[in-house]
This record gives sequence, structure tokens and C-alpha cells, in this order.
Amino acid sequence: MSLLRLVDLSTDIALRRGAVHALDHVNLEVRQGETLGVVGESGSGKTMTVLSVMGLLPPGGRVVNGQILFDGRDLLAMAPDELRRVRGVEMGMVFQDPLTSLNPTMRIGAQVAEPLRVHQGVSKAEARERAVEILRRVGMPRPDKIVDDYPHQLSGGMRQRAVIAMALIRSPRLLIADEPTTALDVTTQRQILELIDDLRDEFKMAVILVTHDLGVIASRADRVAVMYAGRVVETATTEELFRAPRHRYTEALMHALPEAAQGREGRLYSIPGLPPDLSQPLTGCRFAPRCRHATDACRATDVPLVRAAEDHLYACLHPVTEAVTFAPRGAGEARPAAASEPILSVRELVKEYDAGGKGRVSAVAGVSFEVKAGETLGIVGESGCGKSTVGRLVAGLEEPTGGQIVLDGTDIGALDRRARRRMHREVQLMFQDSYAAMNPRMRVDGILTEPLEIQQVGDPAGRRSRVTRLLDQVGLPTRALERYPHEFSGGQLQRIGLARSLALEPRLIVADEPVSALDVSIQAQVLNLMRDLQSELGLSYVFISHDLSVVDYMADRIAVMYLGKLVEIGPASQVVRAARHPYTQALIDAVPSPDPGHAPSPATAIRGELPSALNPPTGCRFRTRCPLAQDICRTEPPLEGGLHQVACHFPLREEAAAARP
Amino acid sequence: MARYLLTRLGQALVIVILVTLITFVILHFLPGGAARAILGKEATLEQIAAFNHDMGYDRPLWEQYALYLQRLVRGDLGYSFQLNQSVAEAITQRLPKTMVLSLASTALAVVIAIPLGVVQAVRRNKWPDYTINALSLLAYATPIFFLGLMMIILFAQVWPLLPPEAPQGFTLGEVLADPAGLVLPTVTLAVLTVAVYSRYVRSSMVDNLNENYVRTARSKGLSEGRVIVGHTLRNGLFPVITLLGMYLPALFSGALVVERLFNYPGMGLLFWQSALKRDYPILLGVTLLISVATVLGALVADVLYAAVDPRVRLKASRS
Repeated sequence: MSLLRLVDLSTDIALRRGAVHALDHVNLEVRQGETLGVVGESGSGKTMTVLSVMGLLPPGGRVVNGQILFDGRDLLAMAPDELRRVRGVEMGMVFQDPLTSLNPTMRIGAQVAEPLRVHQGVSKAEARERAVEILRRVGMPRPDKIVDDYPHQLSGGMRQRAVIAMALIRSPRLLIADEPTTALDVTTQRQILELIDDLRDEFKMAVILVTHDLGVIASRADRVAVMYAGRVVETATTEELFRAPRHRYTEALMHALPEAAQGREGRLYSIPGLPPDLSQPLTGCRFAPRCRHATDACRATDVPLVRAAEDHLYACLHPVTEAVTFAPRGAGEARPAAASEPILSVRELVKEYDAGGKGRVSAVAGVSFEVKAGETLGIVGESGCGKSTVGRLVAGLEEPTGGQIVLDGTDIGALDRRARRRMHREVQLMFQDSYAAMNPRMRVDGILTEPLEIQQVGDPAGRRSRVTRLLDQVGLPTRALERYPHEFSGGQLQRIGLARSLALEPRLIVADEPVSALDVSIQAQVLNLMRDLQSELGLSYVFISHDLSVVDYMADRIAVMYLGKLVEIGPASQVVRAARHPYTQALIDAVPSPDPGHAPSPATAIRGELPSALNPPTGCRFRTRCPLAQDICRTEPPLEGGLHQVACHFPLREEAAAARP
Repeated sequence: MARYLLTRLGQALVIVILVTLITFVILHFLPGGAARAILGKEATLEQIAAFNHDMGYDRPLWEQYALYLQRLVRGDLGYSFQLNQSVAEAITQRLPKTMVLSLASTALAVVIAIPLGVVQAVRRNKWPDYTINALSLLAYATPIFFLGLMMIILFAQVWPLLPPEAPQGFTLGEVLADPAGLVLPTVTLAVLTVAVYSRYVRSSMVDNLNENYVRTARSKGLSEGRVIVGHTLRNGLFPVITLLGMYLPALFSGALVVERLFNYPGMGLLFWQSALKRDYPILLGVTLLISVATVLGALVADVLYAAVDPRVRLKASRS
């Protein structure tokens, strides 16, 4: 029986003139004890749907049509006080950003137990006791201490546990999780998702899991609703949806995943264009303008949901008939190694920060690697592992504490300041948030010309033609030159960011999480572009990302970092499919696979949190979390091997024959 | 924490010394001179020279300054011939009265400004917000002497509800015995402060109401009142604490005008009269006191901030 049912729900967000029709006749249901996954890109309405249910719509937001039936009663017809009680007691919500969703000046215990105090009039002492109990249940270490801590004393993963505890303390019948793990590392993501699964079974809750990540949906949801432009376009059981998707948008989403690329040379399918503007009147299928199968009928008539099977609805006139295949793991073959000279060679790189009298933070501890001309080196690891610091050191934004950076045969450390500044031309950066990395008051032409002016390249006319060509290279029209950064979408901004890093014709681009903020379909566009430019211009990339499947798709070789150390480096296919370090294996297993049949092995799961880089563990830094650790791990393992090197006393497997030199 | 305080106190000392140096130099380059002011128009040049010699005013400036600092260390702020009392005595007599005025007006301002700012933030871009905004801009733009005059005309003459003059008592007790006389000066001084504070409270509350933690609080089914008072207000008031510390000394400039206007015998009036009479020792003493109050105000604000914000508390205890 359904616990929550949305009937023809429409929600508007008022604008100064008109309104955004964020939801358009959404019909959904969640049954007791099941997890409904809601998936879609930004602006699809998935978050608006759950905010409508919780009554947390942003200013100007209003449900304009339909019913929200919770246990048979329409929430929209309830008196405000009663409604607050239902939402406060019978529903619980977990938000995306655990760093900001707790009150910074309130103790954890007080926040977690507040629903009890308000709705059930529980005494202060009992509330604290219950808070400790629920914190323990969500796997918080030392809950009796944490209960009196403030949020800033907790890591991201621990804060998310606190938010979950807050939602669960009321024993809700419905738990809504809106991108609960998007801001977390994969290893933490896995722990949090498992926790939600366990608790659902224990508390017999219904769960709505909102996410943009098909992998998370595939491994956790019982049923899935795919949303696009404010409408539900397809619902099915998870297994059915991934086995036989019917809607062309669902198919396109799956095709755009890096996992779906056929072979290493394959291009990603990218959905052209952008989602429609929901403040305008729309007719026909809303995906039609971006769909490769669209016909005139799609554009002219409203497409209703039709039934494909008992539990499978879709709204598409030209449904998918063939099945989507994911490249099975291990199918990729290595690109022939570029046999050229290294463009970048990093030797025993060390970076430490002063921690104000308490010792030193060891951010990068003796990292060595090479990048050859035309090659992509991927660097992966959890946040705090030092991967971004390595990128900044290589790009010359920070001075290393020790070690050498040799760029194109020249040791950067040995150069004087002027020569070093000239060397900067050779290495350029590309950022995760290009908007934040651009001066909002500068037009695009100014942004692109600036590096040329600083390095005194060419005359004004020459610079102008260079900038026009750059825009052309990244696939933007010339008229973009006269516009300001805020006028562009996320994907377009990444293109501009890429154009800026290309302005000085560098040989190496350090890309720090360049697609992490983008939707899958836009991510595919940017990744394709980066690859095209690489083969066209002979660029090398250092591609830094927390997302293993993206790195696997982009990189020729992958370096895995843990707490400032390089623990494994080798050809991408080897590292991902025949990992030798237990940490690498744990990372790989933690990535949720978009293939529902793929069950992660619990044996390799790592628990707990990254230790502090202030006084890191001696010897192998991973030993405090490693399932295989022995006494010998107190001594530091050297990085050994041929092409596929690992720093581990007990490597999981021998180097594959193909990788030996 | 102790180390942090010591560092801050050291910085404060340096600032105070610099302020005395600057004041000292400026005062001594002003035309006229103390001798003429004290000895009167009839004094001969010889008498003036003799006075300057006795006072050490004919020595090089740096020597005078060194002497001044030397006395300062011993707690000697100098002697005012015009008042015929020591500077320390003159100040200690009047300081409490100015503090009563400043504290009363600040308290009044805070009590009015916080609810105003909160109402503005909650009813943002609706008529209550616009109305309060217009009024506070008006208060902001009105010169304090004009405001004081209007107060006297309206509430002491048109409607004779309150005395037009502040209490004239010599001791603090005498002043406090006449609270009605304190009303107009306190309100006059508070009006500008309300305008400043309410704007800070508004913008800080607006920022906080948009924070994710407020959404989390709402998701618990809390009433709007509890969301605002229990969650947002505390975070929203942090900027006011800083402002309190920074603004307390600034009140002195308001007190200068208000005390003159209402003829209230506090520090402001003392400074005013001393400036007209070129009573250098008093001017120096008062300036010194205000600079000390300024740096201490900032320090107290930071310490208070650390006391109420757990995030800062942690950092402070670390450093």
C-alpha cells in the first residue's frame, strides 16, 4: 500500500514577472518499506518535488495544483499546525550539503533531539539520552562525546550522520534524502548509503532517494522515477529500468555515462543543447529539441505516460527497443603508451604547511611521477589526500617544501622569478568552478585576452584573432566574446575556462575536478571536447578527480594518492581492473555501478575516516584503515614495480604480464 | 587564549602611543598657544616667554613629548591651569556621566534595533521593511544637533513634557536622581545608533535566513517563531557584537554634540570647552582616553565574539 502519493502535483516559483513552472502534473507513489529513486539533471524538478512534500519550497514557491496524499490524507488541505506535526514527526529529511545544513552555534545533541523536545515535550535530560542512542545507531564514533560538540568539530561524513540521526530520532515513516552523498567521498558515500538501507529495513520506513547519480540509484533503489523539465518521464522497477529503458531521455542519460563508452577510444554520447526554460509555455515532449529520435509529432502533441509493463510507465512516442549495454569492467584495452619524452617530471615532491605551533601538516609527502607529451595522467583519491595540492604545485601556484618539478627538461626550482613566470605559459590550470574562477565584471574577451597581455604575446589585433580562434576551438560562437560570465551555463563556463587555459598554447593542462559540478550530459560534452583538443594540439593533461569512472575514461595512466602519498600508479586499465593496492581496490568497490547486477563485495569496504595529515601514521599511511595491515606496515613500503607500481607490503596481485616492461 | 590576549594588548599599547604622538604634534602646531589663553590679552611678551619656559614649552618638541610620556607612565596626565585641577581629576569627575549617557543610549538602541532588524528581515521587501528602511535612512541622514534641537522644541517647548536641559548635578548620584532630564539626550543619541544597528541586524538576519541550517530547522516541523528566535537570531546577532565594541567610542563624538546641546557636564562638554580655551593638557588627556577606549572596545568585541561563537572559540584557544 502506498504511504505517499503525489497526484497531479504542480509547483510554481514566482518570478518578478511570471513564474517558473517547476513541476507539471507529477504523479508518484512510494510504498512502505521501499526506496524510490528520483533521478534527473539539475532543473528537472527532482528536488522541487521533495521540497513540495516537506513544505520547504524556496521564497515564491507554491503548490498550484494537485494533492500530496500521506497515508491517505491530503497534506495540502491540513491546518498549518497539524501539517507541521506530520512533517516534523512522520517525515524526516536529509540534505545535500552536510557542512551547511547544521546550525553552527548549536550543540549536535540539541539539534538532533530538537524534534522530540518540540513535538513530544520530552525533557532535556531524556532528549540528550535519546540523542546519544540514535547517534550510536547511525554509527557515530564516541556518541556520548559528540553529542556535546559543535558541527565544525565534525568531518563531512560525521555531520551527515548527525543529520540522518536528526531525521530518524522521530522514527519517521518516510525518509527523504536529497543528494545525501553528493558532497562526500566515495568511501564515505558507501557507508552512508548502506546506513540508510539498514535503517530502512530496521524502521520499516519508506525512502525517497533523490540523486543525479545513476550508479547510486542502481545499487540502492527498488523503483526509479526519471524526471525531466518538471515532469516524470519514466517510472519502473530499478532492474527493469536499467535492463530495458523505454524513454529516449533515460537512454541518453545512460549513454552519456563514461562507463557506457565503448572501448578507450570511444566518444561519449552527449545530449546536445540545454533543458528548456520552464517559465515559457511548452508544447509537446519537453525532451524533443534535444532528442535524436524526435519527429514532428513529438513537438506538436502532449505525450502521456503509457504502460509498458505492470510497474513500468513511460512518456515517449519513439521508445527504446534495444537494451543499453555498459562496457563490462575489464573490457577496455590500453592505448599504446606514448613513447615520447616526459613533458613533466616530478621527483620526491614535498609540501608541508605550518599548523600554528602544533606541528606541520604533511599535505604532499614525497610524490614522484612523470607525464609524457600527449598523455593524460589521472590523479584520484579522497578529499584531503593532497591531489589538488600536487596540481597547484605543478602549476606553480605554490612553492614546494622539497623535491623537484622538471618541466620540459628545466628544473623550475632553479629558475629565477622571471624565467619561472615565462615557464607558466607551458602549464595552465582548469578549475572545477569556472564561474568562481572568473572576474564577474570582465567580459569573456577580456578574460581570454588577459593571459596574452600578461605574457606580452602578440599585438592587440593578433590577440583578438587568437581569442576568436580559441572560442571556435571550444565550440562557442564569436558573439560570446561580448558577454559576461553569469550569462553562461555551467558547461559553457567550463568551455570558456578551457579556452582560457589554452590561450597561451601550453603543453600541459592541470585540470582540477573539471567536470565534477556538471550534469552527466554536459559532462560528456566537456570530456569529449578535452579529448578532441588533446589529439588536435598534442596536449598533456594532469586530470585530478575524485570520480574514478571519469578518470578511467579520460586517463592513460592513473595515480592513486592517499594522505599525501602516492600508493599506486600504472596504466589506467590495469589500475582500475587489476588494482594492486588495497586502498585502490576499496575506492573502486565503493563506486556505485550503474549496472544493478553488479554487487559490491563487502570484504574490501574500508571504514572510518581519513586520518589527520597533522602527525600522519608512520610507515604505510593507510595501515590504520587497511584490512590487511600487519606489523611490517609500520615501515614505509617503497613504490615498486614496472609500469604498474604499488607501495604496499602485501599487494593484492602481481603485476600483470602485459604491464611489465 | 592568554597568549592571544597578550598579543592584542601589546598591539593596543602601540596604537595608543601613536595616537598620543599624533595628537601632541597637531596640538603644538596650532596657532595661538596656551600662554596667551591663560595669561590673557594684557600679558607682555616677557611674561609669555617666562610662562613658556616654566612649562617647558620652549624646549624642542621631542623633549616635551618625552617628558609627557615620562609623566604618563607615572599616571600623571598633566595639570589644567584653566580649570585649576589635575587632568585626571577633571576627567574622573565627568567620565561617569558620559558613560551613563552612552550606555543608556546604546542599551536603548539595541533593544529597539534588534526587533526592527528582525522584522525587516522576516518581512523582507514588503511594506514593513520598506517603511523601517525609509525611517532609518532619514535618521541616518539627520545631523545630530538638528535632531537634538527638534527634540527640545517638540518635547520641551511645544509639549512641555520633559526638561530641555540635562541634569546639572555635580556627582553621578545627583545626575541619576533626575532621570527625566536624561531622557532627551539619551533618545537623541540613540536615534542614529538605532539606524546603524537595525541595518546590520537586517542584513545579517537576511543572510542567515537563507542558510541551509534554517531549512533543516524548518524540516523538523518547528514553528516559524522558533526557527527565527531559536536558530537564526543567535547567528544573526554576531555582527552586532563587533559593532558594539567598535561603536562605543564613536558614541563620544555624538556625546560631544549632545552634551553641548543639553548642557550636560560630561566629557563631551569638557572637551568642547577645553578646545575653545586651548587647554592642551585636557585635550590630550581626553584624546588618550578615547583612543584607549577604542582599542579596548575592539578587543572586548573580539573576546565577546569568541565567547558566543563556538567556531571562533576553538580558533582562539588554538592560537
